[in-house]
Amino acid sequence: MNMEIDLDKLPLKRLEAIDEAGNEQFPLDIGYEEKRLNMVRRIDFSSVVEERDAKKQKNSKEAAGTQPWPWQSLVENLQVAQQELSIILDLINTVEANDAVTVAGMQRPKQLPHESLSDIVVSSATKLQRLRHLGRYFKQSSKALEQQVTRETRFYDSLIRLQQNWKVKRQHVGISVPGSESCFTIDLLHNSMTDLVLSSRSSILSTVHIDQDHAGVLTVKLPLRLCRRLSIEFPGFHSNHEQKNFLKGKMESVLHTREDEKMALTGEDVNEHVKDSHLILREMHRSIFQEQVFNLVNQKSYNYLPGVNVISMQDDCLQLSIGHGTYVSFRLLPSLEEEPNEKMNSNNQPQNRESGIRSTSSLGSETADEKSYPMDYLNFPDPASLEIFLQYLFHEGVFLKFKERRTYAPRLVMPSQPTSDGCNFLGHFCMTISHRIFSMRVMSMLEGLVARVPYLHLHYHPTWHSRISSWCLSLKVPLSILHSRRRIKPSESNDLKRGFRSHFHTKVVLNGDQINVSGEGTHEVGSLRGDFTAGCLINCYSCDLVDLPMVILQQVAGQVIHWLHEEALIIGLKVSRDFLCLWFSLDQGDKLGLVANVNAGDIRGCISWWLVFDDSSMEEGKLGATDDGERRSRKFLGNLSLETLYSTLMDLVSLSVYGGGH
Amino acid sequence: MSKPGGGPTAAAAAAAAQKQKALLQRVDTDIANIVDNFNLLVNIARVNDPPVRNAQESFQMEIRAARMVQAADSLLKLVSELKQTAIFSGFASLNENVERRIGEFNRLEEITDRLLERVGGEVAASLRELETHYYSSVQRTNCQ
Repeated sequence: MNMEIDLDKLPLKRLEAIDEAGNEQFPLDIGYEEKRLNMVRRIDFSSVVEERDAKKQKNSKEAAGTQPWPWQSLVENLQVAQQELSIILDLINTVEANDAVTVAGMQRPKQLPHESLSDIVVSSATKLQRLRHLGRYFKQSSKALEQQVTRETRFYDSLIRLQQNWKVKRQHVGISVPGSESCFTIDLLHNSMTDLVLSSRSSILSTVHIDQDHAGVLTVKLPLRLCRRLSIEFPGFHSNHEQKNFLKGKMESVLHTREDEKMALTGEDVNEHVKDSHLILREMHRSIFQEQVFNLVNQKSYNYLPGVNVISMQDDCLQLSIGHGTYVSFRLLPSLEEEPNEKMNSNNQPQNRESGIRSTSSLGSETADEKSYPMDYLNFPDPASLEIFLQYLFHEGVFLKFKERRTYAPRLVMPSQPTSDGCNFLGHFCMTISHRIFSMRVMSMLEGLVARVPYLHLHYHPTWHSRISSWCLSLKVPLSILHSRRRIKPSESNDLKRGFRSHFHTKVVLNGDQINVSGEGTHEVGSLRGDFTAGCLINCYSCDLVDLPMVILQQVAGQVIHWLHEEALIIGLKVSRDFLCLWFSLDQGDKLGLVANVNAGDIRGCISWWLVFDDSSMEEGKLGATDDGERRSRKFLGNLSLETLYSTLMDLVSLSVYGGGH
Repeated sequence: MSKPGGGPTAAAAAAAAQKQKALLQRVDTDIANIVDNFNLLVNIARVNDPPVRNAQESFQMEIRAARMVQAADSLLKLVSELKQTAIFSGFASLNENVERRIGEFNRLEEITDRLLERVGGEVAASLRELETHYYSSVQRTNCQ
């Protein structure tokens, strides 16, 4: 269906005609109603009418042949009405779409009072709901901000406390804009330690990241696999000393704390977390320090050290031979053994227990070679004390010197410049170990001697020097003898004035591996008449461990002889003294000798005594060659105590007084 | 502490003053945001006649509230920055604390050394006493 619509947009007067004279003829003004009718008429229904007529004619033609449907006309009328209505609706839509055209004469119908009130009520309710929603939003935001304030207060308080003892650094993440996130780390490396050898583990361990959990609690993660401790071991000797690890118990308590995260945190909990953080940092710092010690020992072992040879060298193990058949190994062991339910591993480090155990297994492979090493474990010093001593040497001899150099002449230190401090430090340490082991052997030997010589006392004199040990073997005259001496010579109340000693000392000093024995007590003849000089050392020996027992026994036996000589002089006997023999002069030129026999291997007693008769008819210095002659010329007395020796001396008094007959 | 004629100290002081000014400006901006948005929020809380305007104003109220919270959050971040600045820029207090700790540790070291000496002396005396007791004991004297 084609439809044409023609509307006037502007109410302008159109020129109807113009004549030749130029006169304009306008149409006559039409009234309002007439205009409306004209406008309506302009809507052309002609096509619809024509179509309707055509249909009528067609129907009339058909009706001549068929019966008419009674409702046909109604249907047709309705169809026509629908078409007209659709045309009108299209017209109205077109009119509405045209902004310049407004529907004239249309006004909003006035609202009734109840309608306006209901509108206001609805609006108020809607606004109230919005305001309540805003209120909830503000409350929620306030709570979140309060929690954030609490979190930040906890975190920064803990950070300030950590800063009191550690070097805290700040790193800005991303562009430095106000309010950007900052990353905090703790630098465990001292400025003066940068020149020292650092392994990759130490470098990783030296920077510790500080994290903040959702509650604002400051946490420090401990990378278990990277923390190692220095261990000194003697192959074949397993110390029962257990490394105290304060961290393991704390780790368990931290785990329990994390399980109770739902409970509100108190100030005490925050304190505990800070203390745990301190503990973890201390453990890592100690691990770095001990790794540096190990690395320096490893490095310095390349240099020549007298008496020290490298047996094996690995990343975490160094074995040295330090002389006297002694071997010592320096190892880096994991600080904490990882457990299957251990939760404290860092999230970005996959749990891998093999590396922590691999070093142990590598140690296990070395134990097979340890069977060839000496198993005299009783003579080994405590490894824990050696570990402390090694760290002390490193700290005093190397670390502080590096620090002083950087403090006073920071630009003059060349990291590649070799220093002798490290060599001295390792050499001194190895010599100390060697000395300690040797010292224990010497002491065990001395103790064995003293156990077999009842009147000999052993006293240990601490020298507080790492490579010097000192003992004193004292021989004391029993009090009963002293009392009897005073009974014999009551006028001589002060034995010292006469130069008579009641005790004799033998000093054994071990300096490094040099044994020096110095004995006192034996005087020259002339000194008996003069003033006594206490501490007159006349015997001084340097010997090795094999000869030491004999040297000491000879010294002690000499002191006993000296004492007996003095006692004999007190009594008034004519006596003379030889090295280990005391000769009594008898009548007719005979001599009776009391001879000391020293034997370090005698388990019944190291010093035994013989009584020897030196007949003047016999060649001097020779004893009887026949068996009968031996039984006549000498008699074995056995291992005698000092009281027995003194009583023997008293018996010899009568012999010397009344003659030397057998 | 700025030296006359300029230098690193003067530049540092100028930078610090500039930073202080920026921080104060941020504080003022944030607080002004909060106040202004709250005022606007109160103003548009009135119920209007056309309901269409109410929907528009409710949306505005949400925006104002969000801006207030944002300004508060910005203030909180500013406080965090100030705390960090106080922690990491207080060199005088840090150095003083380090010196104090060094003094404390040196004193502890001396105390420990004296303690070790005393312990060593007591150990030596106890060892001497034990040795004397042992050598005068019945077990030892019976061996003679």
